[in-house]
Amino acid sequence: MARVLNAALGVLIALALGALIMLAQGYDPLASYAALFQFSLGSPYALATTFKNAVPLVLTGLSAAIAFASGPVNLGQPGQLLMGALAATIAGLYLDLPPLVMIPTLALLAMAAGALWSGLAALLRQAFGMSEFIVTLMLNIVADYFTLWAITYPFKDAAAYSPMTPPIATSGWLPEFGDWNSAVFWMLAATALMWFLLARTRPGYEWRIGGQNSLFARLGGCPVDRNFILVMLLTGALAGLAGGLLIMGGPHRFLRGLGANYAWDGVMIAIVANNSLPGVLAYGLFFAAIQTGALGMELITAVPSEIVLVLQGALVLVIVASREALHQLADRLAARRQAQRRAKQAPFLESVEQP
Amino acid sequence: MNILTGLLNGAISGATPILLAALGGAFTFYAGVFNIAMEGMMLMAAFCAVWGSFTFGSWLAGVLLAILGALALALIFIVFAVWLDTDEFVTGIALNLFTLGATTYLLRQSFGVKGVFAGPGIDPIPRLHLPLLADVPLLGAVLSGQNLMVYAAALATLISAFLVFRTRFGLRLRAAGYNAASLDSSGVSSARMRVYSLLLCGVLCGLAGAFLSLGYVTLFSENMSAGRGWISLAAIILVNGNPWGVAIISLLFGFADVLGLLLQSYQVPSQFTAMTPYLATLAALYLYARRHRKERSYVNR
Amino acid sequence: MSTQRAEAQVADRSVQLAPPLIQMQGIVKVYPPNVLALDDATVSFADGEIHALVGENGAGKSTLMKVLYGLVHHDRGEIRYRGRPVRFRSPGEAIAAGIGMVHQEILLINEYTVWENIVLGAEPVDRLGRIDRKRARGEVQAIIDRFHFALDPDAIVADISVAARQKVEILKLLYRDVSVLILDEPTAVLTPQEIPQLFAELRELRNEGHTILFISHRLEEVLELAERVTVLRKGRVVATLPAAQTTRSELAALMVGREVLFSSRRTPQAPGDVVFAVEGLRYEDEHGRVRLKDVHLQVRAGELVGVAGVEGNGQLELVNAITGLLQPTAGTLRVAGVDLTHAPILERRRYIAYVPQDRGRMGGSLAASVVENAIMTHHRLNPRLTRWKGLLLDRKAAHRFTDALAQRFNVSMPARAAPLRALSGGNQQKVILGRELLLECPFILLDQPTRGLDVGSIEYVHDQMLAMRRAGRGLLMISANLEEIFLLADRIVVLHRGEIVADLPVEQATVEQIGRYMLEGKA
Repeated sequence: MARVLNAALGVLIALALGALIMLAQGYDPLASYAALFQFSLGSPYALATTFKNAVPLVLTGLSAAIAFASGPVNLGQPGQLLMGALAATIAGLYLDLPPLVMIPTLALLAMAAGALWSGLAALLRQAFGMSEFIVTLMLNIVADYFTLWAITYPFKDAAAYSPMTPPIATSGWLPEFGDWNSAVFWMLAATALMWFLLARTRPGYEWRIGGQNSLFARLGGCPVDRNFILVMLLTGALAGLAGGLLIMGGPHRFLRGLGANYAWDGVMIAIVANNSLPGVLAYGLFFAAIQTGALGMELITAVPSEIVLVLQGALVLVIVASREALHQLADRLAARRQAQRRAKQAPFLESVEQP
Repeated sequence: MNILTGLLNGAISGATPILLAALGGAFTFYAGVFNIAMEGMMLMAAFCAVWGSFTFGSWLAGVLLAILGALALALIFIVFAVWLDTDEFVTGIALNLFTLGATTYLLRQSFGVKGVFAGPGIDPIPRLHLPLLADVPLLGAVLSGQNLMVYAAALATLISAFLVFRTRFGLRLRAAGYNAASLDSSGVSSARMRVYSLLLCGVLCGLAGAFLSLGYVTLFSENMSAGRGWISLAAIILVNGNPWGVAIISLLFGFADVLGLLLQSYQVPSQFTAMTPYLATLAALYLYARRHRKERSYVNR
Repeated sequence: MSTQRAEAQVADRSVQLAPPLIQMQGIVKVYPPNVLALDDATVSFADGEIHALVGENGAGKSTLMKVLYGLVHHDRGEIRYRGRPVRFRSPGEAIAAGIGMVHQEILLINEYTVWENIVLGAEPVDRLGRIDRKRARGEVQAIIDRFHFALDPDAIVADISVAARQKVEILKLLYRDVSVLILDEPTAVLTPQEIPQLFAELRELRNEGHTILFISHRLEEVLELAERVTVLRKGRVVATLPAAQTTRSELAALMVGREVLFSSRRTPQAPGDVVFAVEGLRYEDEHGRVRLKDVHLQVRAGELVGVAGVEGNGQLELVNAITGLLQPTAGTLRVAGVDLTHAPILERRRYIAYVPQDRGRMGGSLAASVVENAIMTHHRLNPRLTRWKGLLLDRKAAHRFTDALAQRFNVSMPARAAPLRALSGGNQQKVILGRELLLECPFILLDQPTRGLDVGSIEYVHDQMLAMRRAGRGLLMISANLEEIFLLADRIVVLHRGEIVADLPVEQATVEQIGRYMLEGKA
């Protein structure tokens, strides 16, 4: 209950902040927000687009949330996403199998590539004690340049002027049902599966406890080192899957700057959701909605769509701060109330214990 | 000779923003703040520098605004992490994300462009010619004629080392990081030391950002800090914050930068050469980890 | 004697040394959200006296002194100092007014030298803000000489003994010229042999005109040193007495609100086979320092062995070597006949139950629910808690298990799903103790099992330990509290610099003798 209140409050304050910025710059905030939500939730098509755009956000969000909840500070979702996307693209360029085989194959390869990239960081941590936190960040930038090289030289579409690959085989395209892209199904299934894994299974239990108190888990007999590697691989695979689905469900080719839009969204979503997986789904959809509606808003009221980035940043700050601050405030108020109560009950100098 | 001076000059330019940011981070490191907001502070400063320089036609205005911009972020950090006691890591990440969004929006809003803003209207930070040093044989071309901010970085290293190791401020600053309760009990507020360290970090990251957009190049592009804040964090960790160590590590990263450029002339694709500073960071972390491996062999990591 | 009567008599005997230097009246302190630490506490301290504060753990002694020192802020009540009302917002203000405090957990910067620690916060500086090292060192040396404290001002604090660190803390206050010295359990970290010297130093300070307030729960010390004694119980001051007119048992009765026994609680019992044996255990840390040196130790079934020693003499390493957190350099570990020297932790846990000293760090996860804390290790060893080849948790079975544990070990909790943090310290320890005892291991390792618990919980833990001893388990208890060891153990083992310097049946040991072993080793 408190969590929902906190979230609603955070969203409202962030939107109010955005409205203030718009007012200061001479835009009409109400009309802008109306347009924003009209273009993201206002029609079946808009809603379907929002859900489709939420896929990479939710998957990278799951990746970050599971990692943070289990201990590993995997900040490598951007790089893992790119490697996953590249693997799916390359496979899609050279393979052409029946869709029923092709799609899972590409998805698996994307996951494998993401897991490889996070596994590299896990290996460096386990073998040499290098902090995965900085390693994954550095690997993000390396992946960025590496994929740029791959689409500039070996896999470049000869007909294109800017770095991009040719489209993948159509058998690898995710089917659409009306307005709905089936990537959405993958996203919902992944969320449900991950929730079950964390809440109901023994590995999930050990991961969570290990994330809260690794020494306790170790002393309790949990294989914390192996769990660390497993979590890194799993979260890398989730981010890789996000990349693969991005290719298979969207432009069907690797374009320059593909990952830039999603770079930190996963981490951001995990943080505002406080690593709760249903929270990741909710915030992922919310972020997707404001990102999707932003272009429409720009069309109608000329507010630059980049304001959404400010909104997102403000939302993170507000929610994180209010989560802690509300908690402390409640504690302090409770303490003061009790002190007053005690003072009334017990006048000075009475030192005999009450019956 | 020309190649060597060119190399050195390149390394120094590459090292300067990392050094300035790392010195700022060193203060927070000593004060025991887990500060990962250098990236955001630098980016905000880089934008404010270009905005100020373009708007007022003066690099000095640019630098001042850069410092103010980074300080504003430092203040937010203080409000959240020191006063409200929010998790420092989460606050840092949130600030970096906020800055990335805000600068992108402001770039569009202020200059009506996406991606990059460059133009003759931006007044760059001048180079400084030091008449005596310029005549030093061999090194004259390196010692003189550098960007003003390069000298500022050298001076900042000196001052930081003095502050940290020689002064009352330094003794208390380090005490805050070693054992905050002890400092509090000595009658000095450790929270206040953390606030000071963050403000100093803001100023230094302000200078780092200003150098990025008014010295290293004369333009602002989205996310132009490009992980330099993280590299400076790695530098701090590698030498436990020691300002002299930070200077040496930053120069090494600067060399990695130049090395990348050098490789480019040997037909290595630019995408790979651009990776070198980041790969160098990984290599440095590897060496550090190997050296410290035994110390962490057991108990809580 | 009933408590009420004791208190009534007490009131008659209290002497008023007028005028009081410090008066604390009606002090109430609630730690958020709802821990009532001080409940209308009223006490006064006279100028130039040595005044002891006694009480059980959690009685509010430390909190009361921290309030005076400005480290904790009271919610209600008034403090008058030298006749004027004061309210120190920080220790800095208290120090400026002449009140200083030495904390129980010594608060020094380990990385700094002695002189740096002493001047920290009051450093002599030149115009540039640079520390005037020569002057600082000189002043520190002068104050060391004046009070005859044998200390090297240039030693790094990490390298000096605990007793020396305590002296540094006291000097730190004297350097600031305080007139009121508060010491929180100063003897807790000292060996019996070091205590008389501290007392001599404190008396000398008193003779120089300082007022000394000291917190302790060791009654014999209190009666030896103090002129007046104030007893706290559950956040209230229940009595202030002249030390000369009271007795140890009266103070004890006032502290706990009833009569207490000072005698062994064991019943005689013949020990069985060896269940636990380490041989030739040696451990060198990463710097090559020897932390454990050829340790031989055996525990038999139905036997409780107590490990005494000044903290930092190898206890941590011994415990970690047994649990598997560290791999010893040499030596073997056998439990119930099984060689566990190189066994992974999970394998060890089939034979070793382990109650660690730090509940929140090693014993459990404060953020996780009671259920999740209760099933740890059992989830791996007890197949009834999982399904599907151990991959799925059986939630119902986990709930039943937790309920059974809570019932058997009298855990009172708001709900199974409540986080462990929501339970009181005693109940947290019961969850952990219950979990470990239910593992049904032949050997039980207990590291400071009662640290920080209230008297009722301590008794409960002791009862459970003795029950396990009767049931034929082998128990090894590490404790910093000699009284606890003498109360429970069959044998006492003393660790000194990583070596076992004594291994005696408790009947043949005296407190003084054990203290000497703790401090001086074999000799």
